[in-house]
Amino acid sequence: MRNKNIFILLITLLIAVITLGACSPEREDTTNGDANSGNTNDEEANKPEELTVWANDEEEQLEAIEKIASDYEKEEGIKINVVAKSMLEQLDELALAGPEGRGPDLFFQPHDRTGDIVAQGLSQPLEITEETLKNYSTASIESVQYEFNGTNEIYGIPSVMETYGIFYNKDIIDEPQTIDDLLVALEEHSDPSLDQFGFLMMPNDLYFAYPFFKTNGAYLFGGETGEYDTTDIGLHNEGAIKGGELFQSFFENGRIPVSTTNDVIDGLFTEGKVGAVINGPWSITSYKEALGESLAFAPFPEINGQPAQTLVGTKAWMVSYYSENVKWSTDLALFMTNQENQAYYFEIAGELPTNTNALESIEDPIFASFSDQIANGVPMPSTPQMSQVWEPMNNALQFIAEGEDVSSVLDEAVEQIQSNIEASGAE
Amino acid sequence: MDNASINKRTNKHNPSIATVLSIVFAGLGQLYNRRFIKGIIFILLELVLLSTLINAINFGLWGLRTLGTIPGEDHSIRLLVFGVLSFIGTIILIILYIFNVIDARKQAIQIKNGWVPKGFKASIIGFYDNTFPYLMTLPGLLLMIIVVIFPLLFSVLLAFTNYNLYNSPPRSLVDWVGFENFKELVTVPIWQDTFISVLAWTVVWTIIATTLQIALGMILALIVNDSRIKFKKMIRTILILPWAVPAFVTILIFSAMFNDDFGAINRDIIIPLFGGDGIPWLTEPLYARTAIILIQTWLGFPFIFALFTGVLQSISKDWYEAADVDGGSRFQKFRFITLPHVLFATAPLLIMQYAQNFNNFNIIYLFNEGGPPVRGQNAGGTDILISWVYKLTFDTNNYAMAAVISLIMGLIISGFAFYQFRQTKSFKEEGEM
Repeated sequence: MRNKNIFILLITLLIAVITLGACSPEREDTTNGDANSGNTNDEEANKPEELTVWANDEEEQLEAIEKIASDYEKEEGIKINVVAKSMLEQLDELALAGPEGRGPDLFFQPHDRTGDIVAQGLSQPLEITEETLKNYSTASIESVQYEFNGTNEIYGIPSVMETYGIFYNKDIIDEPQTIDDLLVALEEHSDPSLDQFGFLMMPNDLYFAYPFFKTNGAYLFGGETGEYDTTDIGLHNEGAIKGGELFQSFFENGRIPVSTTNDVIDGLFTEGKVGAVINGPWSITSYKEALGESLAFAPFPEINGQPAQTLVGTKAWMVSYYSENVKWSTDLALFMTNQENQAYYFEIAGELPTNTNALESIEDPIFASFSDQIANGVPMPSTPQMSQVWEPMNNALQFIAEGEDVSSVLDEAVEQIQSNIEASGAE
Repeated sequence: MDNASINKRTNKHNPSIATVLSIVFAGLGQLYNRRFIKGIIFILLELVLLSTLINAINFGLWGLRTLGTIPGEDHSIRLLVFGVLSFIGTIILIILYIFNVIDARKQAIQIKNGWVPKGFKASIIGFYDNTFPYLMTLPGLLLMIIVVIFPLLFSVLLAFTNYNLYNSPPRSLVDWVGFENFKELVTVPIWQDTFISVLAWTVVWTIIATTLQIALGMILALIVNDSRIKFKKMIRTILILPWAVPAFVTILIFSAMFNDDFGAINRDIIIPLFGGDGIPWLTEPLYARTAIILIQTWLGFPFIFALFTGVLQSISKDWYEAADVDGGSRFQKFRFITLPHVLFATAPLLIMQYAQNFNNFNIIYLFNEGGPPVRGQNAGGTDILISWVYKLTFDTNNYAMAAVISLIMGLIISGFAFYQFRQTKSFKEEGEM
């Protein structure tokens, strides 16, 4: 037994000696940075032979991107490799493939990941002229701006936008203009014993419930869009409490059951038993299939006489930090999001464009109302700290719906968000 | 033959020289022992390994120690992976080297004591006979190193770094921080507060859910095995059905059925029978816990049922007849014949059931995502350790801390399992007597 211990000790010692003795590999000093100095504009202007694009792997989206890429190939003579890669997997893979030079030039991500992406050093800031920026809707450009180490830059070319509003069944209710209309609809058209409801919403989803708070004066993080002050959380101020009480009034006396889930909402609405629900453009297809002509869409109803501000999400093309062709990659991203191509993309993939002209030219009434709603949208915060907000706030909303005291619930939630941010290792 | 002269020569053979020579370079000792073929093979092996592996291993161990020095250029996590692999490789090489030294020394001593080397063919046969079991287990051992030891080492090492979202490669380098994370776990309130309550529920969940599923399976197996029961095949098929449906489908369906207002259980069973508003299955922690235990019992009993049905067939009828002659009651027969027999044969599998439920992520996450929320607590009412770690990792992206908690969880489980297996072993030996 003792012999064995000595043996193990010896091996450990040997390994320790070898490890400490191992010396650093000889490398060229690359601190000058070959890819990202930003001073190499002249070289970058040289046309590359090919560019690689990671596109989301959904069938229609991919089809549209491939067509647009081949147009660009014809126009500029640069070969474009479109690689299908799920949006959810792109970041993990880029972090490994990028440094080895196997990464893409362009990748596709929702804007609320910008903070994560910049923190990991995966994308690089882009230089875009004011002229070009004017083509994109303000909210979409704001959403891709991000401040890192004191400088505010644009980290992507917005391509697709989405937000949410009210889907309603014309057979049951008229278009709800104000939030009170929804309450009235709830009173008049609900019969829980028959599973009929004038209006249904989730009791625990901050994304959809945000207008209740925002329009009363609450906010997620202080500071400007893209330059968030994450120590300033505006979810327990007076406006938030007012919003919370308004939210609570929808669940009082079991008007909306507190155990409502997404499945319940979708199920009952498509059965034609619900007057109105909150949802986004991704559900248009299935709703239309079920309800046909009875389906209509309205922007989120006014609160306190002001248009409701919903959270807007953008998906954007970002240039990889490891790309050696920043200029041409940017050019390709701009090409993919110009008016003509966004209109085409919308037609095939059914996702709302960010280009204002393309957005305005939409004729489908439901999508057209969505673009109206986007005008009142605020971009979701793109700091990594935002991921600490969802869970505590969703829980708080559940407690509020269950009838607990709004102000103390919100205080607790904010406290939890703060300690979560601290615990996640944020500076 | 001149046996005497050989003895005389070999008696001058010095084991120390052989040892030193083989330490200097693998195979030299064997040459000194006049085992030329073996010696040459060893020398060639070392030359080949030195020329091919030394750089990779040097780089790997350097990466393991420093985790990279140039941000943006060195990828710390990648270096950690290479480092762990090189570390394992180094250990294997050192063990081989030590084997070489021991071999040289042993043989030198044997020669000194007058042992005459066998011919080439005979020694090959001897080698094969001696090492056969090792050769056969070698592929398994290598597989185990790659799929078990390597990831385990990797995640253990991760617990000693500062790897989180704000400090992740390629932009930044990850550093070794020693026991910093463990210190934080006991000082930062969100972990400290929640850890105890989650751990307590995890233990309660494991014990109740598993015991219930075993008890139900056993009772049903006993009933169906009774000779007076007819249509045995059909009953068995029906009872195995819950096992045949993929668990996640069942759990999702149950999750819908348990819904407070829209679910079938409240609507079609509880309210018609008892009136009232039904039971808040999804919104009250106590009821959510009850529901989830019931579902696990339903999901888990068919396996136990099938297991026990098989074992029950193997109990000899003679024993029961003997018990009848002695006037044993029905309960006594169960207590002293059936139960020991069944438990004896299935104990390891039953323990696995407990371990499995301790880490039963699927049911917790799919049923209610660990909900309902509890005020002032970070984890939901039904969150067990594993689902809580999952939330921590993906909500806070604090990979290092997740590794710390997994490590602690692993220690708890392995302690538990180790103790249990020790108990079964003694139980088994007792039974065999």
